[in-house]
Amino acid sequence: MSLTLRRNDYSLTDEQGQLVDMLRDLFTEQSPIGLVRAAEPLGFDETLWNTVKENGLITISVPENAGGDGGGLVELVLAGIEIGRTAAPVPLLDQVVALRAFAALSAAGADLAGFDLDAALAGDVIVSVAPISTWELGAQLIPSGAVAKAVLAFKDDSIILMTRQTPAPQAQNEGCAPVAWWSPADADVTTTTVLAGGQAQAIWELVQREWRIAAASSLVGLLAISSEMAREYALDRKAFGVTIAKFQAISHQLADIHMDVVTARNMTLKAAWLTENEPKYRPELASMAMAHATRAALRSTTKAAHVYGGMGITLEADISLFYRKVTSWSLVGGGMRRDLEDIARAIDTRAAELQLQSSNR
Amino acid sequence: MDFSQVVFTPEQLALESEIRSIIEANWTPNYSHIAVDHDRMPVEVRMEFAKRGLLHPDLPKDQGGAGLGELELEMIAGIADEYWMPTNVSNSMLIPTLEKHGSDWLKENVLPGIRRGEITTCLGYSEPDNGSDVAAATTKAVQDGDTWVINGQKMWTTWGNESDYVFLLARTGPVEEKHRTLTMFLVPMDVPGVEATPVWILGGGRTNVTFYTDVTISDQYRVGPINEGWSVMSEPLATEHGAGVETQGVAPVNGTMGQTFSRVFEKFVDASIKWAASRKTPDGKSRLEDPITRLAIAEAMLDLEMCWNAEGELGKPMSAEALSRNADRMADIAAPEGLLDFGVDGSIYAGNISSERQHAPGTSVYGGTTEIYRNNLARRLGLPRPY
Repeated sequence: MSLTLRRNDYSLTDEQGQLVDMLRDLFTEQSPIGLVRAAEPLGFDETLWNTVKENGLITISVPENAGGDGGGLVELVLAGIEIGRTAAPVPLLDQVVALRAFAALSAAGADLAGFDLDAALAGDVIVSVAPISTWELGAQLIPSGAVAKAVLAFKDDSIILMTRQTPAPQAQNEGCAPVAWWSPADADVTTTTVLAGGQAQAIWELVQREWRIAAASSLVGLLAISSEMAREYALDRKAFGVTIAKFQAISHQLADIHMDVVTARNMTLKAAWLTENEPKYRPELASMAMAHATRAALRSTTKAAHVYGGMGITLEADISLFYRKVTSWSLVGGGMRRDLEDIARAIDTRAAELQLQSSNR
Repeated sequence: MDFSQVVFTPEQLALESEIRSIIEANWTPNYSHIAVDHDRMPVEVRMEFAKRGLLHPDLPKDQGGAGLGELELEMIAGIADEYWMPTNVSNSMLIPTLEKHGSDWLKENVLPGIRRGEITTCLGYSEPDNGSDVAAATTKAVQDGDTWVINGQKMWTTWGNESDYVFLLARTGPVEEKHRTLTMFLVPMDVPGVEATPVWILGGGRTNVTFYTDVTISDQYRVGPINEGWSVMSEPLATEHGAGVETQGVAPVNGTMGQTFSRVFEKFVDASIKWAASRKTPDGKSRLEDPITRLAIAEAMLDLEMCWNAEGELGKPMSAEALSRNADRMADIAAPEGLLDFGVDGSIYAGNISSERQHAPGTSVYGGTTEIYRNNLARRLGLPRPY
């Protein structure tokens, strides 16, 4: 046996730090909470989408040889966190994941059947992916499906491209996300097989992981802002003559929320870096990041809203808006049940390793 | 950002095999003992490590260290963990404290031996009537010319029965003045009036209650100024808590205690997998295929990854609570064998699960309760002191 050690460096480069500053400024200014509310129930704001396009964010994590800026998954996570912090009503994350999939498909020589990829790279055509299509058959809830005109999915042993001329009707949901049912059997949907066989399977495996990492990053941002809002409220609100932050029943909840924020953020960054640089190493990490972000966002936005007391359950309170967004952003990927099935595969990997070890001992 | 595997230099590979040979020649792993975080490094290994400066490998060679870096520290921890070998000697946080606050006599006569691992120490902070509220200590030290006379009791003096010195927090003024009348001493444990009585804890570990009756020591055993014991003590306590631990590239971000617990947790997940692989469902399938068992183990794996991603002080409460939660859960999943001791007929690997359930509650308490950690974290978040 020999020892293996891995680095544990979560630090951002100066460039990545500048990117965060730029994104923070942009989304804080351009996606105020009033705009988020005005964009409901559809959950899409065209003006903001145009701003995103003008700032070159559509291609933020698309490889250079596929018409992008050459950023990677870590950059996508950094963008996702800022989108989550402002609940920005734009389908940027799904768009970028889909564009990365198109890039991988082009590199594998897939037949895109005349699909106008340039329009998608420009953000003029909204594209998305079906994150649970290997799992749920038939009609599926598609993230950004109510604004997308093209969706990549997996069916049988192939990656398929579904397109439609008019957007699919939104499926009403508490977080007002633009999700919609899409089915290859739908008369309005044109379906083309773009790549089949083992190569398609390998690409789709990565697409699923990347979508989870992107979705997790938006939950991290949502968690972070909820944590900050609850903290500020606890410092401001008085009861029994003192700020409620002085009560351990409150401050310990805030500490727990903070722990969720930090762990969810770190797990998502780590999964992003390893998925990009060593996709064969611990393939469960993306599902772990998503599963933890999901449970952390569910429980910690509940706690954050609770810190607000009665105000937390009113629709006019911003904290309740973030509470509503959680399910719409997390469960559309199949929820923890789907992620835990993935994670459980690591049990078999570990069992095999342990048998190897015990025979050596 | 970087999570790549470290490629060892020839020197590091040589260090790895050297450490392995020392351990293999001097230590037999005990696979019934899943948590070794409370135990001391076997003395034979300690002596071999000391010769090579490996007890405090990051110290310069002329201070008894090996002049090595963070990476080698991680290597030693990783290899020791592979052999289920405890690595505690003394609380290493005492070294910087003595360097800064120790009397010249202590620096000359005791500190070098601590660095070399020849002299061992334990901590005397808590008392029967105060634990987390350390500053309520009542053990009294009264100055009498050039000597001090100490009377009182200390609780949770782990290794108090086998240490050369106790780093003692004593009251040197009115107790009402709390933090302002405390002084630290490094008390030799072989002087008349010091006595250690065992306290046995869940999981079979030993700690002690120590009694101090008219213990008379010279002023040269005082550490730091009179009545400034609180700050002398707090600095290393923060080290134990893992505060201020920065991401340096190789070390886990989880603070010192949290990563110790996470290593136990890692073994626990393995024990759960081994247990499941060793049992069959009524229809003859491996329990590894049983969806409920898989769910429980998958959630434990998820919690483990979460713990490795918890930073600094957060790591302790997260790891401790994740250990307890999963030990309760897995003992139940492994029912009925989950109740059996290690080595009992039918308890294969389930014995590790039940012994971890015995060990886990302590992790939420020793070295500071999870509530104290949450108080500290709340303060770092800019929240006011508790009401």
